[in-house]
This record gives sequence, structure tokens and C-alpha cells, in this order.
Amino acid sequence: METKSKSMYDMSSSGTEIFTHGGVGYVPPSATKDDVQTCGTLSIVSYSFGKCIEWKPNDVSIETDGSEQEWAMVNTSKSPSASSSQGDANPQRWLSVRIPISEIKSYRVSNKKTKLLLVHKDRLTHTAFYFQFENADCFTKSLRSVVRTRRSRHDKHTYNIVQERVDPQMPHSFSDFNLLTDRKETVWKFVSDMRSKPYETTLSTFSKFSEYLLYKNPDERPSEEVARLFEGRPQQPQNPALDGSKSDGLSEYLIVERLKPRVLCPRGQPLSVTQWANAMDAEGRISDVKELKKIIFEGGVQDSIRYEVWKFLLGYFPWDSSTHERQELRQVKTEEYFRMKLQWKSMTPEQEARFSDFRDRKTLIEKDVNRTDRTLPFFEGDDNPNLGLLYDVLMTYVMYDFDLGYVQGMSDLLSPILSVMSNEVDAFWCFVGFMKRVFRNFDMDQSGMKKQLSQLHTLLSAVHPDLSHFLDEHDSGNMFFCFRWLLVWFKREFTHQEIMVLWEVMWTELPCSNFHLLVSVAILEREKDVLIENNYGFTEILKHVNDLSYKMNLHDVLATATAIFKQLESSPNLTVATRRVLGLSGGSSHNSSSSEDDSLSDGLACEMAALEKDCDQGDTTGVTPEK
Amino acid sequence: MSGKSAHKNCLLKVIILGDGGVGKSCLMNRFVNNHFDDHSFHTIGVEFLNKEMKIKNEMYTLQIWDTAGQERFKSLRTPFYRGSDICMLTYAVDDKSSFQSLGMWKNEFVYYSDIKDGSAFPFVVVANKVDISEEKRQVSEVEARNWCKENGDLPYIETSAKDAINVDVAFNMAVDIWSQLEAEMDKQGMSNDTIRIDPNRNGKREACCGL
Ligand SMILES: Nc1nc2c(ncn2[C@@H]2O[C@H](COP(=O)(O)OP(=O)(O)OP(=O)(O)O)[C@@H](O)[C@H]2O)c(=O)[nH]1
Ligand SMILES: [Mg+2]
Repeated sequence: METKSKSMYDMSSSGTEIFTHGGVGYVPPSATKDDVQTCGTLSIVSYSFGKCIEWKPNDVSIETDGSEQEWAMVNTSKSPSASSSQGDANPQRWLSVRIPISEIKSYRVSNKKTKLLLVHKDRLTHTAFYFQFENADCFTKSLRSVVRTRRSRHDKHTYNIVQERVDPQMPHSFSDFNLLTDRKETVWKFVSDMRSKPYETTLSTFSKFSEYLLYKNPDERPSEEVARLFEGRPQQPQNPALDGSKSDGLSEYLIVERLKPRVLCPRGQPLSVTQWANAMDAEGRISDVKELKKIIFEGGVQDSIRYEVWKFLLGYFPWDSSTHERQELRQVKTEEYFRMKLQWKSMTPEQEARFSDFRDRKTLIEKDVNRTDRTLPFFEGDDNPNLGLLYDVLMTYVMYDFDLGYVQGMSDLLSPILSVMSNEVDAFWCFVGFMKRVFRNFDMDQSGMKKQLSQLHTLLSAVHPDLSHFLDEHDSGNMFFCFRWLLVWFKREFTHQEIMVLWEVMWTELPCSNFHLLVSVAILEREKDVLIENNYGFTEILKHVNDLSYKMNLHDVLATATAIFKQLESSPNLTVATRRVLGLSGGSSHNSSSSEDDSLSDGLACEMAALEKDCDQGDTTGVTPEK
Repeated sequence: MSGKSAHKNCLLKVIILGDGGVGKSCLMNRFVNNHFDDHSFHTIGVEFLNKEMKIKNEMYTLQIWDTAGQERFKSLRTPFYRGSDICMLTYAVDDKSSFQSLGMWKNEFVYYSDIKDGSAFPFVVVANKVDISEEKRQVSEVEARNWCKENGDLPYIETSAKDAINVDVAFNMAVDIWSQLEAEMDKQGMSNDTIRIDPNRNGKREACCGL
């Protein structure tokens, strides 16, 4: 969930909710002793300036639109006595509370786990929340996945917050950012008309700002950071009985806390006609392929030049070929195509009768051509000649690669290409290029799909260990519910227009050849709360994911997927398996030190290895039934 | 509250099997949404829809599972067979080879569903697309009924998802057979004084029928 605003120098800056827990009561400091708790939701929200714990009363969140919502900022470092009651003239209208995690010293869970007490850094300010329906563990568990905690030596119910990872580079408090004109002022007006504000502006401001956070003060970390990481580790496994919440997936939560903060980048403009023309030299060769791909990755391609650009992206035309060479190539390829086409066209009924493998492929194609994108104008209507083209290209592909033949899903992959090319020869060779990348999706034993599903699990474990843990515990660790996404590259999940963009983005193979898995993680991330909060089981997860079809915003998904890649790429302590999936080398100093850490740390390494092993073996994923 | 939990326990898992293109998805959509789409996509992976149904004054939720028919996806489809209460073996009357595959589908289901006794399981043979013209028909009713007889006296029904012929009847028939078999199993269980083999299904019945 994202809220957007123009500037981040007011408190209405955009944040991403990481966790939300409903049914949490809060007693305002201004309240008299007998005052009852106000019920609301407690969340962890990630801002470019750091993560905050926020509490919002229920009724305010309902009636926000247009009206003002007020945020109480409990900022202890500069104004220790500040509390959310200040500046609120109207005691009836309850304030929201926002506490930067960097301002929290420790937390304590008490009253049979119904009370969560946050102790601020000044040690004077305390904020208490009351969990009305479930115990506080669910929240502290979430909290522990974003910060490192250590159990207090003096009180087994108290956990000290060891800083958020970004903290060494982070300004000490909000005031250092000069976010506030008046430092004593701790209440911001929060105008929630964000939706109307321009998205692009927000995103670019946002990203510049986070880049500053990220790159301002690089690299003083690894060894010391890692040392700290393991320092506190033995405590938890040794005293599991002390903590009712157990050490829920220790290895996993260690992974996430190693991640750098997320930097969301704005999507770019599609490659324009002029840019395309300028990319070619006098002979028509494209030299700066890298730059061109970057533009396409960031913004796709303008409709009118797609039919040309795709031929390069799909390897039909070499980037360094001249216009003349391409003309010649096209001639050769046209002849080659029609030769293959003639092979099946000239097959007599008698031959066919004795050629069951061919017949099988042919009937499958016949059935599927009728069921492919028939709502697209290009394939609409009963006697649409384009259906014939679809059929011919698929049949010719059978002759091109008879062993692979035709497998369901291929018609989905061909349809957008054909509709862009509207020419069977070009469509065929582009399709051949596409199939070269995805033929493993159609393996006889499905091993290619199983591998990708397990790689997706690996990535998800790195980014959202709580979600992958949840899926594991709900018979969904095999990620089967993402099968359709991966098989046909989200063809059934997005509109035709969106698919063209998504595919050309993925064809650039930027930033890695497994970008489609990051896209999957980006989508799942948005569904995480729904899946976990509803405690969905295997069937509900499957249904929920199937039903996401056509309900997602491609640009958001792409921006998130890109950000996830950057986040992972810049995080020094990824597991070997994760690095492998992302195509990141293990050679840099960060990475090599971290891989040693993997092997050094006994229990943790074992747990991780088990996790990775589990994921690397498609056959143990449960997709294949044991006999 | 009790009503809600009872309804949950009366979930019947129905799985529709058959070659690609015989009309499995169309049958499901006709039954659940009373809708037919001539040009709907072929199925990728697995999908399911729920439908509430009243049988002998008991509310049931039929959870209808629809899979991809192509051989290639067998390993991704078969894990879903487990736990099925009903299996609809489907073919299209204008597609002889889909009829010839029925045996394969039945075997595959029995093998992977973990059912104890294939002969005492509620299968229904569904002959779809009976709306097509007579000259296009490749499988006659006689031929199909013979096959059913030879393969454990399976019940047979002709349907058209397109023209909404017998689709509800087919599903009702399947549930009827299921409940008959359940009743028989119960009787047997009592007279033989044996422990029930399938606690799951037993649980379902008890919860929903108040036994
Ligand atoms: N004439 C006629 N056509 C039908 C009927 N039911 C389905 N069809 C057509 O048969 C084709 C295949 O139907 P689907 O429901 O997609 O087949 P399926 O069995 O789900 O196929 P897969 O998903 O590939 O396994 C569709 O194009 C439908 O239009 C019917 O009752 N009569
Ligand atoms: Mg189907």
C-alpha cells in the first residue's frame, strides 16, 4: 500500500506499509485515567528516511478522504517530553501516532502478551499498545524482521533494538534532515489527498532522497556488521523457552535484515521513434545496444516501432547488422520459412494417417488456435484470417522443432508477436527467438518449470522470509500457484497492451535473465498481507493468485521488481543460491566474505543449506507425487 | 456459527478430467456461472470454482477442479487428485480419441488419488458437445455405454456446455452417486464393525449430516 505526495519534506511523504495488525488499542497520553483505549491498527511503515511504527485509530482511517488527518510524531531525541497530545486542541478527534524505529530503544511484551510497551531512546517516554484480539507476538515478529533485536540481560521480556541496518548512514533523527521548520513542533498536518498528486514527481523525489541515504557513506560495514550479526545469535536458540514466540525462522529473519533499503525508481518513457532512428548509424547498425536496452527496460517501446525493435530483441536481426544485411537475411529466412511450411502443407492424408506424432501436434494446435486471444481485435470473429496465420506459424514451428512440437502455452506466446508483426515470416522467426529463451518451460518432465518455481522460492525467501515461511507451512512452498505466471510469462495476468511492455522489458534481459522471477516476487509482495492475515491454505492461495489476473498495475509491479533487484544486488549478505538466481557473481569482496560467513556459522549455515537444498531440488517440492 | 462450520465440512471435491479441448472448463463454467464462452482460453495449470448445492436438504459446497488436459502437464496435475470425492471423466462426442483416452484418465486418477477401491468410487462419464450435428459425431451412445459397462458399470450422461443440456444433471448425478456410496460404506462399516478407513470423508459426513 503506498501513499504518494509531492514532497517528502512534509510528513505526508510516501511510505510502504510492511506490516499491519488490526485490533490494537492505544491510550493517549492526554487521556484521563479512566479513558478507554481507542482501537486502531498498528503498522510498520517504510519511508525513504527509515521505518516507523504507526498507529491509526479505526474511525479516522475510514473517514480520511478530503479531511485532514493528524499525525503525532513522537520524537524523543530532540524533545523528550513531546507526546502525541501536544498541539491537539480537540481531544475527541484522536491522533495517529508515528514513531521512527530509530527512536526506539527497546520493547517489552507483558500482560499475557497483550501489552506492547515501546521504550524510547530517552528512556523516559513510553508508548503502550494493547492487543485486543491476538497476542503481541505477531507484531513483534514482524518488527524483528525489519530490525535486529537482542534480548535484555536483565529482563527476559525486554528486547533491545539493535539499530536498523541503514542507521550508520542515517541522520540521527528527523530533525537532522531539517524536515521541520520548528523543531519543537511535533505534530504534522497530514493531508490525505495524495492520490491526486503526480506519481512521477513523487517517485523521483523519493528515489533521489533514498539514493542519498544509500550512497552517502558507503562501505564501512562488512566485517564488523557481520560480526555483530552473529554476536547475539546463540542467545535465542539457547533460551527458546523464555520467549513464547520462539525463534520463528531465525535464519530467514537474519537474511532480511541484511537487505539494504529499497529504492523505488520511476519508470521511464518508451523508446521513441527518434531515439530509435538516432540509435542507428548511416548503415543502419546499432552500436550502443546497452543504452538502447536500458531505455527499453525502463520504459518499453513506442507502439509504432515495436514491430521493428522486437526483431532485434528476439534475436531475429543481429544488432550490428546493416540495413542491407537485414534485407538479405530476411530474404533467406523467408525462403527457409516457406520450405518448412511446405513440409507440413504437402503432407497427404495417407501420410498423416501413418504419422501419429504429427497428427497429435496438429490436433492440439487446431484446438488451441480457436481458444487464443479471441477477444483481441486482431483475432476476433469466426472467419478471421489471422487465425490461419496463427495456425500456420505454429504448424511450421512443429516442423522447425519437431521434438518440442507444440505444447499448450505456445499459442499464448505467439499471439502478441503475431499481432505486432502481422506477417507470418517475421512472426515465426521472432517466435523462434522467444522459444529459444523459454523452451525449458515446456520440458517433457517439467523440470524447467520446477526449477524456476524453486528459484522463485529462493528469491522470495531472501526478500520476504516471513511470506516464504508462511507458504511453506501452508503446503505452498512448491510455489505451484505461480505456474501459470511463469509458463507463459504472465500472459494471462495482464492486458494485451501491458503484456507487450512487460515482454519487451524482459527481453532486454536486464537487470538479469531471471527478471520474471523478480516480477513474481513483486506481485506476491503486494498480496503478502492478504495471504497471511487470512491465513489462507493451499487452495485459497491458489485461488487468490489465480484471481489476480487483470487486477494488477504493470508499472507498479515493474518498478517494484526493479527496486527489489537493486536492493538485493546491493545487499552484501545474500545466500549463494540467491546470488546464483540473480546472476550475481560471488567474486566481490562483500560477497566472498559473506559466503565464508555462510560456511563459518554452524547452525545458521546448516539451516540455510537445508533451505537452499530444498529449493534446488524440484522433485522434493511436492509437485511430483511420491509413488 | 455451527451452520458455518457444518457447511465447511460439507465440501465435496470434484475433479473434471479429460483430454484437452473436450470442454472441461466450459462444463465447469456452465455449471457454476451458467455461462458459456466459445473462445475461452485453454487451461494452464489448475483452476477451481466453488458452487453451493442443496442435496437432500443438506447444503454442500462443490469445489470443482479443472486441470489442463495435455499429457505434458501430467506431473503438475496429478498431485491435485488426492482428496477428491468425485471424478468426472469427460470426452467430446466429436472427438474419438478423447473417448479412447477415458481409460487412461481413469487409471491415472485411481493411481494418483490414493483411493482404496477404484470400483467403489463415484466416477461419472460425461459425453460433452452433444449439440453438434449428427454427422460430426464420432462416438455413439451405444459405444460409450458399452465402455462404461465394461469399466465398472460407470454412470453415463450426455451433456452440452454450449446449449446447457444436462450440465446440472451431470453434477447432481455425481453427487447422488457419491452419497449412495457413502451410505453404503457407512452400513458396511457398521455391520462389519470395522474401523473406517477414511477418517477425512467420514468426518465430513458426520459434521454435515449430524450423525
Ligand atoms: N459445440 C460445443 N462446443 C463446446 C462445448 N463445450 C465446449 N466446447 C468448445 O470446446 C472448446 C474447448 O473447451 P474447453 O472447455 O476450453 O476445453 P477443456 O477441456 O477445458 O480444455 P483444456 O483446458 O485444454 O484441457 C471450446 O472452444 C469450446 O467452445 C459444447 O458443449 N458444445
Ligand atoms: Mg480447460
